[in-house]
Amino acid sequence: MEYMVRGGEMPLADKLQVLTDAAKYDVACTSSGVDRKGNGRGIGNCVAAGICHSFSGDGRCISLLKILLTNECIFDCKYCRNRHSNDIPRATFTPEEICTLTMEFYRRNYIEGLFLSSGIIRNPTFTMELICRTIWLLRNQYQFNGYVHVKAIPGADSEVIERTGYLADRMSVNLELPTAEGLRTLAPNKHRKSILTPMRQIQNGIAANKNDLVLYRNAPRFVAGGQSTQMIIGATPESDYQIINVAEGLYQKFGLKRVFYSAFVNVTGDRSLPALPGGPPLLREHRLYQADWLLRFYGFRAEELLDEKRPFFNVMLDPKEDWAVRHLEEFPVEINRAPLEKLLRVPGIGVKSARRIVAARRSCSLTFSDLKKIGVVLKRALFFITCSGKLMYPVKLEEDYIVRNLTSEKDRIQFGSDGMTYRQMSLFDDVEFTRPISVVERQQAAVGQL
Amino acid sequence: MIVYRCEDTLESVFTAIYLAYEEKRNHEDTLLSLTQEPFLFAEDVKVTAEEEKSRKVLNTLKRRFGSEDCLRLCMALAANDENKAQAVYRTVVKGLRCGCRPGHLFDNLADDNIHKAFSLGRGVSTEVGHQKQFLRFQELEKGVLYSRIGPKNDVMVFLMPHFADRLSIENFLIFDEKRNLFGIHPAGKAWYLLRGEEADRPLELRYSEEELHYQELFRQFCHTITIEERKNQKLQKGMLPLRFREYMVEFV
Repeated sequence: MEYMVRGGEMPLADKLQVLTDAAKYDVACTSSGVDRKGNGRGIGNCVAAGICHSFSGDGRCISLLKILLTNECIFDCKYCRNRHSNDIPRATFTPEEICTLTMEFYRRNYIEGLFLSSGIIRNPTFTMELICRTIWLLRNQYQFNGYVHVKAIPGADSEVIERTGYLADRMSVNLELPTAEGLRTLAPNKHRKSILTPMRQIQNGIAANKNDLVLYRNAPRFVAGGQSTQMIIGATPESDYQIINVAEGLYQKFGLKRVFYSAFVNVTGDRSLPALPGGPPLLREHRLYQADWLLRFYGFRAEELLDEKRPFFNVMLDPKEDWAVRHLEEFPVEINRAPLEKLLRVPGIGVKSARRIVAARRSCSLTFSDLKKIGVVLKRALFFITCSGKLMYPVKLEEDYIVRNLTSEKDRIQFGSDGMTYRQMSLFDDVEFTRPISVVERQQAAVGQL
Repeated sequence: MIVYRCEDTLESVFTAIYLAYEEKRNHEDTLLSLTQEPFLFAEDVKVTAEEEKSRKVLNTLKRRFGSEDCLRLCMALAANDENKAQAVYRTVVKGLRCGCRPGHLFDNLADDNIHKAFSLGRGVSTEVGHQKQFLRFQELEKGVLYSRIGPKNDVMVFLMPHFADRLSIENFLIFDEKRNLFGIHPAGKAWYLLRGEEADRPLELRYSEEELHYQELFRQFCHTITIEERKNQKLQKGMLPLRFREYMVEFV
């Protein structure tokens, strides 16, 4: 085959270098969503929570062997390192090389599986066919049973995408830029419609496959880990409000598992791209991820977090704190009575701690020290909650006061070393006497150690 | 007051719990201790682990509290802590007394003992997760995979099923250097544990030909995948604590 012509020339190490370098700006490196036992024939299983095997110098996880099949590309997207007008070393893996690397890395527990993307050679359908063939080889000849994430190439024939879907655990189509307009200016070869078509196809495939699985338990699974996408943040002038609205739309209308945000790094130096003297917009990316979690797990809607008049996230406060100080009429929330949905809206209370609170208050009424044990971040939560009608400290329920305390380290209410001391000592302090005496204490009292 | 003196094993602690119920002790006035520290006015009972009794306790815990909470109790007993036996014992007593439904054993986190058992179990579970992430196999001659770990808690029992399922067709061996404990999995067969002596410590390993090549490839991969503009050592340290790095090929 033509793409294998240069296969013999370059040593494997160099190829891996070039094609890792080309793939590193892709964000998705998760191995979650699928629980699959080993099959006893080959190697590999999948764990639903996903496993990160290492962390690179930028703190991002290394879960999958993230590589491109080739970094040769006929497209000329302005933000992309692999655009055909960019003068960089080019390389192409053979399918056997990819399979061997995956297998050898996997059995040494370096990786959780393979992430395979590719530049476009000849045309999208041809490229997709190559990816599909590689994965087929990995699954059937090398008997690999671990996690596989592949890119669906926009514009590829739907039949190839469907075949690939039955071999992969997760598929993703990159949205690249949040709006169709941005896409037109920066990626002239890509169109919004050609991106959304495979996304819709995969969504329908997953839905149809669910029905099949109900009828036939052993039917082959189609994209069992769901599909994801990613957007570049900061290359085009969209606001945060537009971005989270797009994300919400994708979750609701396309049934996506994840939307990833990627702070723009200017690697090509194209003059239509913004220069970023302060480095990539990492804080903005972080705020978007926080908002993304609020949308998926905390029952927030996009228009609650931002609106036309305030289209950007607050730099100082995270989106949940920001929402809370603008809706003080909802607070304080009584820990021992409030429903789960209300608890989830309190800054400093996460999904796990909210569930634990609901479970623990069945046995006894909770105090602030119990909340600490449960895992609530009291330094954020204390302004918004009461336990049995009492605030933790005499704080004011005022926007300015709370914002000042949440943002500046100096003005914060000072905590003791254990986080729980802020009480006037008194001679008649009877706090400890109501508690039953434990065996250990009785023992200590007897030997005079108390 | 009764003090059951157990050894630091799951079987021993479960046997002690069995005895406490069998001998109808007042649970408020009974202690489970892993040390030999003397207590005043206390009657010592030495516990010898019995498989039958500990299995009965395990089955009861599974039936009453559900397999997830039962696993968490077992994990708490693998922790590196002197008071774990007492915390687990009190948690079991409270759970049985209030007749809690399966999956609700650790609901009342406001209780000190339950919280203690819960957080010990959580700590071990986190460490098991870390080892699943950061453990590295090295291929020795004849294709045997070998790994050296140094966990804070005794996590081997929880680690082996994961790797045995994943690498079922491989011969592999995990060595816990802090406890001189080997987890051994022969290809296609059941795994087992082997407790070794100081002299059994593996020295001078002979790698297969390919091994160093793949180590170098992975090192290069980790290096290349870092985006220079996003460099953040602090985040990396938070996600991958330094104590694991001496066992990982990409940091050597």
